[in-house]
Amino acid sequence: MKNNMSYQIVTNNPNVKKDYKEVIFVEGSFEDVLFKVRDLVHTGFELINHPLGASLRMFFSPYRSIIVRENIDKTNNIYAETIENSIVNYQKHMSVRNVDVVNGEDYALIDAELLKSALDEYERVYN
Amino acid sequence: MKLELRRIHIKDIQLGNETTVKNGVLTVNKEELISKLKEDERIKDVKLDVARPGEKVRIIPVKDVIEPRVKIEGEGNGFPGVSTKMAQLGDGKVNVLYGAAIVTVGDIVGFQEGVVDMWGEGAKWTPFSQTFNLVVDIIPVEGLAPHVHETTVRLAGLKAAEFVGEAGRSVEPDEVLVYEMGSHAEESKKYPDLPKVAYVEMLISQGLLHDGYIYGVNSQLILPTLLHPNEELDGAVISGNCVAACDKITTYQHQNNSAILDLYAEHGKTINFLGVILTPELTTLEGKFRTCDYTAKLCKSLGADGVIISEEGYGNPDSDLLMICKRLEDSGIKTVLITDECSGWDGMSQPLADTAKEAIAVVSTGNVSHVVTLPPADRVIGNDKAIATLAGGWEGCLEEDGSLKCELNAVIGATSEIGYHNCTVKLY
Repeated sequence: MKNNMSYQIVTNNPNVKKDYKEVIFVEGSFEDVLFKVRDLVHTGFELINHPLGASLRMFFSPYRSIIVRENIDKTNNIYAETIENSIVNYQKHMSVRNVDVVNGEDYALIDAELLKSALDEYERVYN
Repeated sequence: MKLELRRIHIKDIQLGNETTVKNGVLTVNKEELISKLKEDERIKDVKLDVARPGEKVRIIPVKDVIEPRVKIEGEGNGFPGVSTKMAQLGDGKVNVLYGAAIVTVGDIVGFQEGVVDMWGEGAKWTPFSQTFNLVVDIIPVEGLAPHVHETTVRLAGLKAAEFVGEAGRSVEPDEVLVYEMGSHAEESKKYPDLPKVAYVEMLISQGLLHDGYIYGVNSQLILPTLLHPNEELDGAVISGNCVAACDKITTYQHQNNSAILDLYAEHGKTINFLGVILTPELTTLEGKFRTCDYTAKLCKSLGADGVIISEEGYGNPDSDLLMICKRLEDSGIKTVLITDECSGWDGMSQPLADTAKEAIAVVSTGNVSHVVTLPPADRVIGNDKAIATLAGGWEGCLEEDGSLKCELNAVIGATSEIGYHNCTVKLY
């Protein structure tokens, strides 16, 4: 189980970049983070947490952090389907709404807090 | 278990020098409540205000709503495991200040929504425009970490509800509702021919501003668990989330969970109600698989013929909802889902973030994306800067007369996924 806890965080959140070592930093938007995760999933990465938040308000966040890890298995349909569906869903909502840049700092903070909870959960569930 | 909810009908709230209920008027000792709440050193100041149905008042950003009550017989006054010592809930007599609500305001982050308009268009969409609201605005000391701030506001709301609830201790109720149900063996013996129905209530369980608590336990840390319905009606479930305003289940709505009450009403008539399974909506995929498997297993172990499932939130929880549905339907258990829709401004888009062919019986509680126009208020309780957040959604959402257009998403309880709200379903 030595490598079981290895993970990488795909993020565009500068706070996360500062606080974690295992970061694939995306210079870009929430949507760009989703694209990067999609590309990784299609090359055999496992999706650890769900790409979408738990409420519509979190769709308006400028920042998003998603945990992935390299998988020795071939591409899993569930992960590919989940990230592809998430992208379609995200684009649907953002076609009529603006990214809430005014509250950017607060979104960065909450994104980092939710990431922390997701990593705690990852430790509990995956070990 | 046998629980009596003894409703004292409240017709007004006044701030004064004593905390009493006389002839349906609830008076709250303002100074005493403020000093009680300020016993928590994390609280710098507390502002109390009253908002009544029909007044041109806007409350924003609402964090939680709680029904003030006092337990006059049986264990567990208050919220055991959270604000009072641990006790088994579900039995006894509770005096309820029915028609009154404690509404907490706390802008933990700038993008919180959570509007309650007490009049006009906005009032149509939230059930809390119909309650007499004691608004508790918590100002924390500076430098609190966000999760400490959230805890502080959550606990203050619960303490305020307990303090105010005490006013009803010796008051004769206007109506008494009795909820009584024995063990599964006893109820199955009584109603051998009725179909067995369980209720799965999903709770957002994902971190700061996205949590729920059961007897004080953060639901992130649990496997799905079985409750007697009386436990939830007696205050076992607390809301710790406040980002998803329209479909957040407030503590008030847990105390008065419509799905539970409706299932209770049919118990012994058309169904044998087996109880409530609280299921966390986790954030990791493996976590979701585990809780969904476990939920289905609990339903099967109980011998359920049918299951009602209600969701909380939108987005990744949709996956849990449909996974539970699929697992149950595959096991031959009929399911009915209760959820709201994010189907776009015109209501024509795919309503959920996920799909499953097994989801053939779904009750919609409204379209989160439906746009409403809220006229300017005479008075704003809370933080009027939060209105800018609502107004910042898209081009042209702030009109010249000060009216603003927002999606129902911003309105507390507008599309409640346990059905405690004002929308209804129309068949075409």
